Amino acid sequence: MVPILGRTLILLALLIASAGALVGFVTGARPSGVGWTWTRRLAYAFAALMALANLTMEYALLTHDFSVSYVAHVGSRSVPTWVSIVSLWSSLEGSILFWGLVMGAYIAVATWQNRDKHPEYMPYAVGVWLACGAFFSFLLAGPAQPFATVLNPQADGPGPNALLQNHYLMVIHPPFLYSGYVGMTIPFGLACAALLVGRLGHDFIRPLRDMLLLPWIFLTVAIVLGGWWAYEVLGWGGYWAWDPVENASFLPWLTATAALHSALLVERKAVLKGWTVTLVIATYLLTILGTFMTRSGVFNSVHSFTQSAIGPTILVFLAAALLFTVVLLTLRVDTLAAEGRLETGPSRDVMFLVQNLLFVLFTFTVLLGTVFPLVVEAVRGVQMSVGRPYFDKMALPIGVALLFVMGVGPALPWGRATKEQLRGALLPPLIGAAVLAAAGLALGVRSPWTLVALFFGGFTAQVTLSEILLPVRQRMRSHGEGVLDAFLEAQRRGRRRLGAYIVHAGAMIVIVAIGVSSTMGTSKEIQLREGETTTVGAYTLTFVKAEAISEPHRQSARAQMDISRNGRSLGTLYPSMNQYESQREPIGTPAVRTSLTEDLYLSIHNIDTDTGSVGLLVLVNPMVSWIWIATAVMALGGLVALVPAWRREPAAVQARAPAASTPPEGAPG
Amino acid sequence: MTAASTPGATPAQAARINTRVLVMGLVIVVPLIAILVLNLGRDPHTVRSPLVGRPAPAFSLVPIGGGDPVSLESLRGRPVVINFWATWCVPCFQEHAALAAAARGLRDVRFLGVVYEDEEVRTQAFLQQRESAYPSLMDPEGKTAIAYGVFGVPETFFIDRAGRIVEKYVGPLERSTISELVARARSGGP
Repeated sequence: MVPILGRTLILLALLIASAGALVGFVTGARPSGVGWTWTRRLAYAFAALMALANLTMEYALLTHDFSVSYVAHVGSRSVPTWVSIVSLWSSLEGSILFWGLVMGAYIAVATWQNRDKHPEYMPYAVGVWLACGAFFSFLLAGPAQPFATVLNPQADGPGPNALLQNHYLMVIHPPFLYSGYVGMTIPFGLACAALLVGRLGHDFIRPLRDMLLLPWIFLTVAIVLGGWWAYEVLGWGGYWAWDPVENASFLPWLTATAALHSALLVERKAVLKGWTVTLVIATYLLTILGTFMTRSGVFNSVHSFTQSAIGPTILVFLAAALLFTVVLLTLRVDTLAAEGRLETGPSRDVMFLVQNLLFVLFTFTVLLGTVFPLVVEAVRGVQMSVGRPYFDKMALPIGVALLFVMGVGPALPWGRATKEQLRGALLPPLIGAAVLAAAGLALGVRSPWTLVALFFGGFTAQVTLSEILLPVRQRMRSHGEGVLDAFLEAQRRGRRRLGAYIVHAGAMIVIVAIGVSSTMGTSKEIQLREGETTTVGAYTLTFVKAEAISEPHRQSARAQMDISRNGRSLGTLYPSMNQYESQREPIGTPAVRTSLTEDLYLSIHNIDTDTGSVGLLVLVNPMVSWIWIATAVMALGGLVALVPAWRREPAAVQARAPAASTPPEGAPG
Repeated sequence: MTAASTPGATPAQAARINTRVLVMGLVIVVPLIAILVLNLGRDPHTVRSPLVGRPAPAFSLVPIGGGDPVSLESLRGRPVVINFWATWCVPCFQEHAALAAAARGLRDVRFLGVVYEDEEVRTQAFLQQRESAYPSLMDPEGKTAIAYGVFGVPETFFIDRAGRIVEKYVGPLERSTISELVARARSGGP
């Protein structure tokens, strides 16, 4: 029963999405009220069907209905209920189904928000979204079918991937990643609509930017959650390894970040329209490339997700989408002509361009390193891998350059600047730069690149802070308000600007923290017997005992480690090794003692509970927690910038009017 | 891409086909698709080494931190395990303890590390923190790695007494796998 219900819902979704795409395109070409009404109805229907299909699967998972192929694949009676629920995204077919749910939700919300706006663009946009929706429905109807009928169902199943059960971060990472990935469909549809209409007006850049910002926030969080998960679970003490799957999530983030900035120039100066549209389209195509990379089994990755049959299907879609967009750009990009012009010379305008070029350079660098092994394999028949040194070497100067631009850009005025203005803008932040670099030197930083990062970081920090406070100071002076009133009023009038600078503050901290943590850590690998003690840096570790713990769904062996620092006890850590029923290899779970200054990281290589011995990797990683904190700051900044867009217009209208006294709304460089 | 924002594009130009975008787009898109298509159906974990069953390429390399060069020739008569590794490689990290334990346990076998695309200072620090049970050699221009067809670390070669490669293993080794493969190298073949 349930398999048939599921398959029916999927087939209906495929039908509805295809019909909706068709109606949308026809209505776009020949506008009509009826056409638009039906386009919307079909969009809502697609979302509803996807939601129902997901509910059906959840029902099957919770009732352990092993006649559903996906449940037979990942379900188990012995796992806790929460594991059954999240099993939805633990394996290929379910995750594509979940993908459909997220997509339906995005499409429904975006359609509803714009139901009575932008009439010439919206039918095209919804048409593009539903065309993408039709493709994923097709995947679910055929190549990645979750609702196939199992003829002789077993009484129990193997349970989901052990990694999913091992850590809560793996439970929340995929939903964030999908919300980021899938959400890029929305700005992609809007960008295609702008090209099809042949216009990108001032009124339409706002929704484009906001609909890009929302998935950008999710993607930012998802990338860092992935790194955090690797750090907490994989046990090698790092958070980023330039693995193809990591790169797959990073690539669209780079182009989306570039697009968020160039969209600002479109909004302010009506330039770079075609360029911005291209970046938005590239972002979506990179999410599809990323999907292919993680799902096809072609790339050699430590994640080694799946070796699946959907690779060819996704590749056909990717190729079709690539050719469609290239042709669309070729035919229509010249219709999005610039109305204004950019200043040359040292100005914020130019720094925006530099920023964009750096991000695109970064994208190509990472893409090249990721794809290069495939090129070599195809051309010479030799297997090879591009090691981390390539990526690290390339990312280091680009990252530092971005930090530089992030400091200098917002410091410079828009348009042409006199020499005095330049001096006034660029000299004071050197104090912040010198302070942070000196602090680093005093604390023992010797790596030249880290010192440079600290220097630019300090510069950026001071610029960012003074930009956040500038409107407050102006209000205090001109309106005679108190600090708090002035701040509240200023932030109400310039939410997007404030949000953007909060993101900058977070990004600056992330870059500095990466620099410090990757150059200032210490590590030690050691074999201990029960009762033995070792010291690492200021820490003293005592291996008290090894113990075995039995839980319904896993067996664990853990080491009890008493920790003290400079003679003061800090408590006990339990790094462990978990053996799941469904998995041959055990999975280690490191124990991390996190503090604001540094992490103490214990990871087990081998443990023997009989003889009482343990092989430990001990790392002291400075500043790592700041990466997580600063990412939360970036997400918060994104939300601050997004919120007024979803309240009805007055805030936005007001903010644009008094351009003379407050700095222009919008963001930095 | 580039022509998109050319200032002053007039409506007359607007209707035209932008060939620059077409060419740039195709230059990026077509090779990308071609490469992905060519690689479909390939399992990245399979390894084809034409070297298995053949004499191991000779080398003479200086150990980390200096000293007399070690040559393969001088080890003839004993099974040899050669492990290509680097400090930036996560799996190398994981297998190090197993290799060191095996080297201590299997006294009749000679274990060698060969550093792959890494700096001497880093590798030295890496080994000082861990107990290294066997010498690691610097391979300055990667000539030995090339001779052995190394495409990504870790890769480990098992060589018999006669200097013939018996087995090539890609990925992190476990203690049990090492014993098994060493046994094959001892008996001189699979």
